Amino acid sequence: MTSLTGDTDVFSSAPPSGTTPKASVMFVATRQDELPGVYGAAHHRAILAVLDELAAEGWTLSLRRVFDPAAPNTPRALDTGFTHMHDIAGVFEAPDLESALAGTIRLEKAGWARAFRTEWLMGVKEFAPVMGKGALTDHGWSFLALWEWNDQWCEATPEERTEYDFECDIAFKGDLALGVNIAGRHRMDWSHSWHHLGAWEIDGPDTADAAIRGHERVADFKFTTSRHIVGRLAPLADLIAPRYA
Amino acid sequence: MTQSVWIHYSRPRPHWYLLGDKEKQALADAWQAVRDGAKAAGAEFHGRFHIRGQHDFQEVEIWKFAGTTEAFNHWQALCAARYNEFHAFSNNVGLETGT
Repeated sequence: MTSLTGDTDVFSSAPPSGTTPKASVMFVATRQDELPGVYGAAHHRAILAVLDELAAEGWTLSLRRVFDPAAPNTPRALDTGFTHMHDIAGVFEAPDLESALAGTIRLEKAGWARAFRTEWLMGVKEFAPVMGKGALTDHGWSFLALWEWNDQWCEATPEERTEYDFECDIAFKGDLALGVNIAGRHRMDWSHSWHHLGAWEIDGPDTADAAIRGHERVADFKFTTSRHIVGRLAPLADLIAPRYA
Repeated sequence: MTQSVWIHYSRPRPHWYLLGDKEKQALADAWQAVRDGAKAAGAEFHGRFHIRGQHDFQEVEIWKFAGTTEAFNHWQALCAARYNEFHAFSNNVGLETGT
């Protein structure tokens, strides 16, 4: 048992075994290839080759595939430059923690490190994915939420925390009603200052705003500090294309 | 052969200071038992250092584990003993580069 809190109406523990990937890898990356010669077509090809290897090793490289195992495993990520200091962000799923960390280093060495300065976060899946209503509507966007429990949560009693979880469940049910698909919850605290990651499929930024207003109404943020990222989903191969041929 | 470094930054959360000495000692003993267990299982402890003078955190611990999973399991054991409830923290994990 590695979950930090118990199941709720919306969330249930991720399957403990089987072939489903158990670890997650998140990245937030900023382009740094302003000068010609830093990052070129050969590096781009080498990164894509590593991504092909990771797919063959059991990684999930597209958020869509978390919800639909029949979906293509073509790597996709969030184009975030329009509203964030960083240019791209994304979430992969890896077979285990060992391969998660090793995979980030393989990507960096293939040329990623030349193109981007990157914050990598690794974790384990705590809760199973949850499908929102209207799962077949356009989900061309994604919302990523990192959060940590604050001192007040840590000081609260177990009963107060459980009560809080079920208050937040009201907001999460509202998210599902907005058509949000929630890729479970990922535990990152063992290797980062952020405790958790939530990765969503959404139909656009307005949905993220409406959803977060719902979380504000149930006082979600009385016990957490969070960092939110929104971006349009696009093929990673395009997002990491070199500026200079 | 140890392969993963695990770096743990921490500072006590405010309500730690409100605990009585007996409760503090019981918690500290439980956390030390977790650390001793990790060492007995092969982890290398490279020390705890005071860094408050140049950092948001108060102390940093440096460990080496056989792998990332062992590092995760160590942290999980500390969480099960309520360490994270009484300490703000930031953790890092890394692989030895061999150079």
